[in-house]
Amino acid sequence: MKILTCPMNGDRNIDEFQSFGPVRAGLDPDRTADAEWARHLFRAENRKGVVIEWWRHVPSNYYFLAERDLVSNEIIRTFDSSDPQGRT
Amino acid sequence: MEATATYPFMAGGAAEGTTLQAGAVALADLTACPRFGLKGGGSAAWLKSRGISLPDINRIGAYRGMRLLRLGNEDILLLAEGGGEALAGLREAWVRDSGAKGYSSWREEGWAWLRLSGLRAPQAMQRLCALDLRADKFGVEDIAQTRVAQVEAVLVRAPAGFDVLFDVTASAYFARAVAAVTPYCQDLPTETEGNI
Repeated sequence: MKILTCPMNGDRNIDEFQSFGPVRAGLDPDRTADAEWARHLFRAENRKGVVIEWWRHVPSNYYFLAERDLVSNEIIRTFDSSDPQGRT
Repeated sequence: MEATATYPFMAGGAAEGTTLQAGAVALADLTACPRFGLKGGGSAAWLKSRGISLPDINRIGAYRGMRLLRLGNEDILLLAEGGGEALAGLREAWVRDSGAKGYSSWREEGWAWLRLSGLRAPQAMQRLCALDLRADKFGVEDIAQTRVAQVEAVLVRAPAGFDVLFDVTASAYFARAVAAVTPYCQDLPTETEGNI
């Protein structure tokens, strides 16, 4: 069983979670060309490295952030999205 | 609560005919008991404005004889057993208030409330839930939001057992899942007893 540590609920079976993909900057609707929108919406980045992703603990419907190594699949840390130390 | 409400295990309900077992692992249906959930921005502030003190997240407080479950920063559930007059009064005040007050999360309609009790209830929970629910790890004021019998659930301790709140449409399935694990809860080695 793979364990993910939810910032609100503690250590849980990863089956209790749903992944929502990497945190990405939003696009400026006034400055974005169609091709950029298409890329933003339909193409995944799929690079190697460490990313910060949105996750949801399904039973409590709690959304939080997790830093994960995409090569080793190691979850480095998890934190609440309002945590001022979180994204640094 | 409407006097005409039909809950799954009642006559005419979706789970009618499903056995709620008694014995060493017993199941009781409390779905018809009054409860009231608030969710969304303003919920906590509204309850505090009524003089209700809120516990920390995933902890249980009390208000006028009811259990008050803090499921999230802005997700609060009140459980009333018995008359529920205090709950009805609070609900009426909430309905009348036209200011910021959060939203009803409709827990009285969306969730089933089953109580698992009996001598072997802890052993049944061992098989139904992955969490460590021993008394020293999961106390009477703790809340576990997790999976029980593979169903997303809110789990708290009850007198001589556990209260489980989950999607009301899974009522019959849950009763069958408890029945399915019960035969395996009879003959655990005696040295595990007392540690649960």
